[in-house]
Amino acid sequence: MSLVLAGLFVVFLVMGIPVAIVIGAASMTALNLSGVPLMVVPQQMFSGINSFAFVAVPMFILAGDIMAQGEISKRLVAFADSMFGFIKGGLSIVSVLAGMFFAAISGSGAATTAAVGASLVPELKRKGYDPAAAASLIAASGTIGVVIPPSVPMIIYAVIAQESVAKLFLNGFIPGVAMGIGLIAIALVQGHRRAYPRGTPFNLSTIWRTLLSASWGLMAPLLILGGIFSGVFTPSEAAVVAVNYAIIVSLFIYRDLTLKGLYQIMMRAGVTTAVIMFVIASSSVLSWALSSWQVPSAIAEYALSLSSNPYVLLLLIMALILVTGVFLETASALIILTPMLLPLAMQLGIDTVHFGIIIVVGLAIGMVTPPVAINLFVASTTANLPIERITKAVFPYLMALIFVYLMIAFVPLVL
Amino acid sequence: MLKVLAWMDRGVGEVLKPVVFAGMIGLTGVITLQIVSRVFFTSVGWTEEVARFLLIWITFLGAALAFQQGRHIAVALLRDSLPLTLRRIVSGAGIVVTFTFLVTLAVIGWRYMNMQSYQKSPSLRLSMTYIYAVMPLASAIMAGLSLIDLIRLLAGQAPRETRTELNE
Repeated sequence: MSLVLAGLFVVFLVMGIPVAIVIGAASMTALNLSGVPLMVVPQQMFSGINSFAFVAVPMFILAGDIMAQGEISKRLVAFADSMFGFIKGGLSIVSVLAGMFFAAISGSGAATTAAVGASLVPELKRKGYDPAAAASLIAASGTIGVVIPPSVPMIIYAVIAQESVAKLFLNGFIPGVAMGIGLIAIALVQGHRRAYPRGTPFNLSTIWRTLLSASWGLMAPLLILGGIFSGVFTPSEAAVVAVNYAIIVSLFIYRDLTLKGLYQIMMRAGVTTAVIMFVIASSSVLSWALSSWQVPSAIAEYALSLSSNPYVLLLLIMALILVTGVFLETASALIILTPMLLPLAMQLGIDTVHFGIIIVVGLAIGMVTPPVAINLFVASTTANLPIERITKAVFPYLMALIFVYLMIAFVPLVL
Repeated sequence: MLKVLAWMDRGVGEVLKPVVFAGMIGLTGVITLQIVSRVFFTSVGWTEEVARFLLIWITFLGAALAFQQGRHIAVALLRDSLPLTLRRIVSGAGIVVTFTFLVTLAVIGWRYMNMQSYQKSPSLRLSMTYIYAVMPLASAIMAGLSLIDLIRLLAGQAPRETRTELNE
């Protein structure tokens, strides 16, 4: 029966049916054929999304969307530029750093790409950077958006694996910074080869001025992450604090947001949320079906029969995560993969939190691998370039990310 | 006929937009209330429950709005590389699958709602009918929209355009 399910899934998917409906329709058909009463479908769809931790999903999306437009992200970029602009090709470093800053506010890769892209692409073009390479670097930096906390995929993983959201967030810092360093290394080499220009000269008073001007934005991550790690707020509450903070700063301090604009942003964030949560709801039916047919334990058994070397098996798991990330978007891949691979990972002695980081980073890399590459798509729209050109240019960055991915997976560092 | 359908299609979007917005405002407001009341007064018990229910409503009605705006994620690469006639056949088959699933979901969602109607939520004592009603409602809306898609396809019109936040 799981073969019927897999077959329907692939056929429906390549037909171009929306992923949430593919998952729901394939699971429902297979369950019906195996004689399971269909009442399990609404039951699982509701219980799959009925969790207080998920309230953080719309709120982190909303906070990121508000801060992505206008002044907050522009001033962050100006601050990063004042610090690193003097280096040859320094604007590339600025793209990555701005991505990392923004990752600490936003929970999604697409929002991070959009925020950094909107404020940096015009500047990069003006200074004579290769536009495709610049856009692809911004798309690659966007993957850090879901690794440095807050992170929507980490919230989803935490709910499925019954782990603490805060603990996953805490363990996202080092991998996120490592990904940033990897990308900067490649960007520096390219900047040197292509003889990119230097930007803002190094000057302490400029740094101080831009720091002050960006301080409202820089305070946001302190508020969000400080609130979570000190235990003052739950992650869901911290997300709402971030939303209120972003609204107050944009409406009353920078005054770059109108009430009409706020209506638009909230409505769009609601739709973005629904797209993710609807996938989660229908995937809950799928994962219920798979576990009732004992597929996860069969997979673990099969994998252990292939090899007894935990490193080989970890490599296999990582390859599976990367390949899934190429074809599926993050939320659905996460909900399908986590329950299937977690039992195997635990048998291999991998820590649940560490495994969460492995799966989230792997799927984040999938955000820049076509055909389903949300960050490339966003970058191509922001930079007004065909997606094929950006795809070619992203290759060196992709290699850097995969190299960092191997390090993250094989160094089991859990805080 | 096609003009009426296009008008209905847009109308569904225009009605759902403020509803989704209200859900997001409500969610922000209720958690803000939870934080304020916990820090300054005693904590209120019902805010978590209301937040979860609002999220369920946003999920389903937002999914209907996302359907109207063509924003659900799909892997369209292979289908779009097919020659025109074949592409239209595959698209049509896809819409039929979508429509069948959504109608089934509306029917079983309706039955589920009636089955659970005696249940009351733990803290507000709200009848669960109000929460579960959103599934048949949103599924029926999406089924209707996919029927419009099918009629448009048969009439030889272009498929639904994706309207993302970036090109709006």
